[in-house]
Amino acid sequence: MNEHRQQILQMLSEGKISADEAERLIAAMEEPAAAGGSDSGAAPAGKARPKYLRVQVDSEDDGGSEGPTKVNVRVPMQLLRAGVKLAGLMPAQALHRANEAMQEHGVPFDLSQIEPENLEELVEHLNDLTVDVDQKDANSKVKVRVFCE
Amino acid sequence: MIPLVAVVRLRNQDSRTFRLWIPLFLVWLLLLPLGILLSPFIFIACLVCRVNPFREVAVIWQILNALADTNVEVEHRTAGFSFHIV
Repeated sequence: MNEHRQQILQMLSEGKISADEAERLIAAMEEPAAAGGSDSGAAPAGKARPKYLRVQVDSEDDGGSEGPTKVNVRVPMQLLRAGVKLAGLMPAQALHRANEAMQEHGVPFDLSQIEPENLEELVEHLNDLTVDVDQKDANSKVKVRVFCE
Repeated sequence: MIPLVAVVRLRNQDSRTFRLWIPLFLVWLLLLPLGILLSPFIFIACLVCRVNPFREVAVIWQILNALADTNVEVEHRTAGFSFHIV
């Protein structure tokens, strides 16, 4: 186990991988060990609870002098949970207006039907969410990734 | 725990990096009297909107607590920016 960790750290020191990638590799390496260590119980623990929602944007301009742009946003899942709780405290008038606006745009969705438990469940299921968007133009390339880790 | 420090890193065209530590605890200390002054108005607004003001305050407190470890990085060939809440 230590060998793998050492290899990752060496790759990091040689600049082959970024600190961010090293962190993810170490986390991925530790994950099966943690699952294996907890198999003394009856049922497997399943996936580890995600700690962060990450949004990565890589943009490259092939022809221009601008060069590539990288955006990396890491939001703690705890913040999302607190945020959805705040959304659950929306006053009834605001919910009514939002419902009307959504129906005007062809989304027949009743926000007042959403309970705080549903929102919790929604955040829990973000674990399985991965969004990959690749866009290629004649002289630019944009890659967007949204995932939990 | 509520975050106490934020770190802003700026990289300019000459690859010079400036790191700025923002003491958030001072910001919270400054905002505290303002919050206390505004609390009656917030309370009335919550009652008008039929929202439990204590629950509202609890959720805002949770949001502040959950801000720790938020990280935003923007890297470009000519410049870079990162913001990290510790």
